[in-house]
Amino acid sequence: MSMEEISFTDLMASSIHDMKNSVNVQVHELETIASGAKARGDLEAFNSLVLVIAQAHRVNANLIQLLSLYKFGKSTYPLDIREQSVAELIAEAVMQQRAVLDFKGIAVDVDCAHDCYWYFDRDLMTGVLLNALNNACHYTQDKIRIAAQVQDNTLVLRVEDNGPGYPAHILHSDGVLLSKGVNFASGSTGLGFYFSAQAAQLHQNNGRVGTLTVANGGAFGGGCFVVTLP
Amino acid sequence: MPLTLSQANTLIVDDFQSMRTMLRDFVKSMGMTRVDTACHGKDAISHLAERRYDIVLCDYNLGPGANGQQVLEEARARNLIGVSTIWVIVTAEKTSDMVMAAAEIKPDDYLLKPINQMLLQSRLEKLIVRKQSLGLVETAIRAKDFGAALAQCNLLLRMQSANPHEVLRIKSDLLLTLGDFEAARALYASVLEQRSVAWAKTGLGQVLFYTGDHAGAITLFEQVLAENQMYIEAADWLAKTLEAMGDTVRAQQVLQEAIKLSPHSPLRQKKLGDAALKNGELDVAQAAFEKTIKIGEFSTHKNPAVYARLAELLVDKGEAQEALNVIKRSKADFRYNSPAALQTAASEARIYQKMGEPDKAQAALACAEQLATQLGDKLSPDLMVDLARAQLKLGHKEKACQLLGQVVKNDHENAQLSSEIASIFDEEHLAGEGQALIKASRDEVININNQGVVLAKRGEFEQGALLLREAVKKLPSSEVMLVNLCGLLIAQMTKSGYSDALAHEARELLDRVRTLNPGNKKFYSYSLVLARLQRA
Repeated sequence: MSMEEISFTDLMASSIHDMKNSVNVQVHELETIASGAKARGDLEAFNSLVLVIAQAHRVNANLIQLLSLYKFGKSTYPLDIREQSVAELIAEAVMQQRAVLDFKGIAVDVDCAHDCYWYFDRDLMTGVLLNALNNACHYTQDKIRIAAQVQDNTLVLRVEDNGPGYPAHILHSDGVLLSKGVNFASGSTGLGFYFSAQAAQLHQNNGRVGTLTVANGGAFGGGCFVVTLP
Repeated sequence: MPLTLSQANTLIVDDFQSMRTMLRDFVKSMGMTRVDTACHGKDAISHLAERRYDIVLCDYNLGPGANGQQVLEEARARNLIGVSTIWVIVTAEKTSDMVMAAAEIKPDDYLLKPINQMLLQSRLEKLIVRKQSLGLVETAIRAKDFGAALAQCNLLLRMQSANPHEVLRIKSDLLLTLGDFEAARALYASVLEQRSVAWAKTGLGQVLFYTGDHAGAITLFEQVLAENQMYIEAADWLAKTLEAMGDTVRAQQVLQEAIKLSPHSPLRQKKLGDAALKNGELDVAQAAFEKTIKIGEFSTHKNPAVYARLAELLVDKGEAQEALNVIKRSKADFRYNSPAALQTAASEARIYQKMGEPDKAQAALACAEQLATQLGDKLSPDLMVDLARAQLKLGHKEKACQLLGQVVKNDHENAQLSSEIASIFDEEHLAGEGQALIKASRDEVININNQGVVLAKRGEFEQGALLLREAVKKLPSSEVMLVNLCGLLIAQMTKSGYSDALAHEARELLDRVRTLNPGNKKFYSYSLVLARLQRA
């Protein structure tokens, strides 16, 4: 195969795949070390490892998002939209974030009916929720609310916090996200938002398309991350 | 008794020691005490053969050898796991096979890495509940009691105790299996009224296919693929429909596209090889058959016919030595499998004949014929065709005609089969004799059938049944004969009352019909009548 035949994006994708495997091994080793520290009663080491592990999870989540975006672009993502429990989706996402939430002393309030079923791709929406939770964890004071309900044949999923809310430069007047490119100073790449918006858009029904909006307000007056799925 | 996590027998399969240890620690902290580990597919299979497991956690990538999906397929095919076994695949990345494959080969769930203990526990607990609610449906399906499975689905839907979408999907599959196409059509339509769902649209396409509306089916399958090209099942159905319409060129294109997206299915690769062979594209066919053999190496789908086809096409391409190598490999790979050995020997005979080595060809044919005698009743129509092709090529016309006549009689309404047989004669420049044989064989069956119908009209069901029983003995896989005999038995019972012996005979006939053609239209109605007669 000549050099020209290998596209840069294909090379990126296979490298991401490789990196993801490495991060998985790291996470696993770190967790072994952390549980060892906890067993020894070395809470200082354990606590710092919780944060290191959370960072490794973030790297992994970012890599998964990049890989998914690559597959969206090539239409090779195995999109599997089926009717499933929304309450279970939320519970699993919270579970994956539990260690960090507990560590930071953040209370999570879930408002979703037990029998709320909707049509979505489980892995994509888990990624979207984890991303929203991650952001909320970062900006909240001590509370996060996740609410889901079906209105007008659309699932509305909200993640709200009691932090200072989104800064003005992120918000459009109509609540649509501004594409702001990479900000190396703040370390914010916009990847999470971009991924979430794309994932929402892949959910379609009879010409209607899923959306992502961010706003300030909600139950706690902080940031609100709102996904709608038709 | 419902399973609890702490009582579960669990098998962990992973090629990395550290992952095995981690998963074992996870499940042990959930209270499980009976935990075994295996480090590759073969190791897993030998564990599964020794002991019944309730839960299997299996990594997808198991290094060289079978992957987690193939281990699951082998375990299901060899009945090493029961309906109640929970099989979870742990993977770095989900593939379309994991989420969209047919229910028989799909794992119960998959977990994306890195996994944590809480998530694993929560999934396992949910899977236990799910297995409980769907357990009776699955048990009935495995026992091939589709009527009972359907009733159980309806019960679940009324009680709303399981995910309704999932139950509807299983129910629709059952309706297709039972051949109740109108009910299946209504179910799919009601789902599609809400939204465009790939499985329902593909299912509706299958209904159209079975009811003869090929053009309508094609439109639906194409729509599904336009909405989600990764829903490969629709591509498989599209290819099948195109093939049924005789458009093998487009069928090949569709399969080639599907294989680009999902290259690891040996069955799909084989279908591509067959389609390319029909289109005379030997290079494409060769590549597809070679790939089929390669990816099927550790799979339950390993198939001797693929080796035979590859070998023969190599001879046609003038690569005789390569062809013989393939035959040699087939002999080694299927050492203990007589039907496979027969296919290989028949193919070897044809190859030597084409190479101009008649002595070796005769020796191979003698070997194939001996295997056929040993197989006796178990000689399937496919094997008969294979053997007959070799006999015809080597000049044993009478023997070949006898076998092929029987194949036609067994399935005399199957136009595709008849045209395949006609083309076998064609190839040996015996077109006229082929047509005559096919016609005579068909007429013979039609005559017996007509006699049966006359007797039935006169109300002489017993005599009719006697006649058709004789015919069924000679033509054990004639769908029409089986169905008509069953109809006569039912008529006899309707007239003179229910009889255990006759009902048993009828059920056995229906079971054979279903094996031959899962879409048989009489299967469902006769099953219902039998149940009603028994109750009366």
